[in-house]
Amino acid sequence: MTKKEKKALWRILAGLVLFAAALLLPLTGVARLIAFLVPYFVVGGGVLKEAAGNLLRGQMLDENFLMSLATVGAFAVGEYPEGVAVMVFYQVGELFEHYAVGKSRASIASLMDIRPDYANIRRGEELVQVDPETIKVGDIIVVKPGEKIPLDGTIISGSSMADTAALTGESVPRELAEGDNAVSGCINLTGLLEIQVAKEFGESTVAKILDLVENASSKKAASENFITKFARYYTPVVVACAALLAFVPPIFVGNWSEWIHRALIFLVISCPCALVISVPLSFFGGIGGASRRGILVKGSNYLEALSKAEFVVFDKTGTLTKGSFDVVGVYPKEGTQTQLLTLAALCESYSDHPISKSLKKAAGELPKTADIGKIEEIAGHGVQAEINGKVYFCGNEKLMRREQIEFETPSQPGTVVYLAEAGRFLGAVLIADEPKADASVAIEGLRKAGIRKTVMLTGDAKAVGETVGKTLGLDEVHAELLPGDKVDWVEKLLAQTSEQGKLVFVGDGINDAPVLSRADIGIAMGGLGSDAAIEAADIVLMDDKPSGIVTAIAIAQKTLKIVKQNIIFALGVKFLVLILGALGMANMWEAVFADVGVSVIAIINATRALNTKNL
Amino acid sequence: MKKTFKLQDLDCANCAAKMEQAIKKIDGVTDASISFMTQKLVLEAEDSRFEEILQAAAKACKKVEPDCTILLK
Repeated sequence: MTKKEKKALWRILAGLVLFAAALLLPLTGVARLIAFLVPYFVVGGGVLKEAAGNLLRGQMLDENFLMSLATVGAFAVGEYPEGVAVMVFYQVGELFEHYAVGKSRASIASLMDIRPDYANIRRGEELVQVDPETIKVGDIIVVKPGEKIPLDGTIISGSSMADTAALTGESVPRELAEGDNAVSGCINLTGLLEIQVAKEFGESTVAKILDLVENASSKKAASENFITKFARYYTPVVVACAALLAFVPPIFVGNWSEWIHRALIFLVISCPCALVISVPLSFFGGIGGASRRGILVKGSNYLEALSKAEFVVFDKTGTLTKGSFDVVGVYPKEGTQTQLLTLAALCESYSDHPISKSLKKAAGELPKTADIGKIEEIAGHGVQAEINGKVYFCGNEKLMRREQIEFETPSQPGTVVYLAEAGRFLGAVLIADEPKADASVAIEGLRKAGIRKTVMLTGDAKAVGETVGKTLGLDEVHAELLPGDKVDWVEKLLAQTSEQGKLVFVGDGINDAPVLSRADIGIAMGGLGSDAAIEAADIVLMDDKPSGIVTAIAIAQKTLKIVKQNIIFALGVKFLVLILGALGMANMWEAVFADVGVSVIAIINATRALNTKNL
Repeated sequence: MKKTFKLQDLDCANCAAKMEQAIKKIDGVTDASISFMTQKLVLEAEDSRFEEILQAAAKACKKVEPDCTILLK
């Protein structure tokens, strides 16, 4: 509790004692009025002061003013105990609201406590702790066991285990050895590491994640906007109704104090606070809970959209499959297997594509004498490379067709790399990629979560795509697509979704930025260590497990369910008490419950969104 | 230009919504968003008049909740 909250608590307690005394003492007339006015001012003095201030500044419909008016009105019609009780409950509710919000704010902040406080740098013989922001690229920092890795860089000496749980939600530590990339925000567990810094603090993973999470709530969900808009009209309308209720019926039926009493009930219920606070609190909790599971959501709007996901479209390589390709067959038409493999590896020597990497891996050390000339990439087809003065074409089926080369396809399914020189087919290399361990569980989970269709888009050969699709149980597979075709397919699928339904695209964020932004929600996997993924997507899964999508959808659905419960519950109770109040069947106690009690319950319900452990 | 500011003593969610509304109406403001949960204001406004607009925004906040101040870094 903060100092301010403690002070409020003491005032309430003192007020309660005085209130009880006033109720018990057998006083009458002015003495009784004074006995009730004392606790009233002790508890509500601040509210009255603010109300007066707001009135002077032209803020008529502020909650302090409405509460003051309602309670002063209660005194005016002779209902002294009600006047005090309403004020006391209002203050209790305010205090609780303050406390609960502060609490969840703090617990979410602690979830995101990945900011490194210092970095160790060598000055002569000594290790000095400095602000990570002052470290420059190329500096060498030392990270001791138990410390946070403050900046991104390459490990130049030492080996250790790193705890990535704060970033990924994954409890199994990662191994770190010389030459590996160290990611900021992880905790170094066992060994001393020396790291050569690769990025300044502002550009490092930890700074990017913090920035993303801290700004997440500025993108508001439609239901949040609905509520604030609703609140803008709700208060004036209820206050207007109160005025009508106070002055119109008594003209015809008389009994002024009864009708004014009913109007005061309206004033007590006219604050929209329960709604206005509980909706953003639920989203904030959902986003915070998701980040604890290694799922970064860039805004409440994305969480809301995700709960309405209908189609989930996956990229294949690196998303559903491991992306670690291995050469499984070499089929030379001319020359030996080694010659073919070496040539293919030379053609792809400048590429970082997983297929190129696997070719290089299989070929081993490349001949240093090879003269690599111009290499031109043909997007979606392969490369045209000049090696030792000869022009080679290395790529997929489409490339062979484009160059009008006759080729032979190996009989097993897999990704095939064809090699040709000057119109002559030299041979083919077969590469296969395995689905990730949890991919089929993820697809199954999505179906259970109510996803209507799962689709895979891939640039790979049809046979490969379909084999993977069948193994994992996907509804649709579209293969042999160029990057542009993927966007077209997403547009086609978008047209098939229902009006409310959303399309999710899941990729690795490397080559699919246009698709990620075209989909209703773009999810990038493997955010840890990939800036591209963090920037391109709306939701980032820090690790690269497809089952994270199921968790993300479950969190989104739970959050939205809580939001809906709160809206329906708060509005329902308020309208019910308004109607009962107008009919003379509710008293101020019930009105206070409809205001403060509902706030408290809605806030408690909202904090459930933070708990994502069992999703 | 888009800048984020911390808000101090922002005590009520409805006030935050009112402030956001008031700031959006200031001439030259492209977009404004106040998050009650993070106690932050994201202000997007014309570059040349940013300072002036920010002052107007601070005034608008004061009008809704006198305790609340925009922390100018």
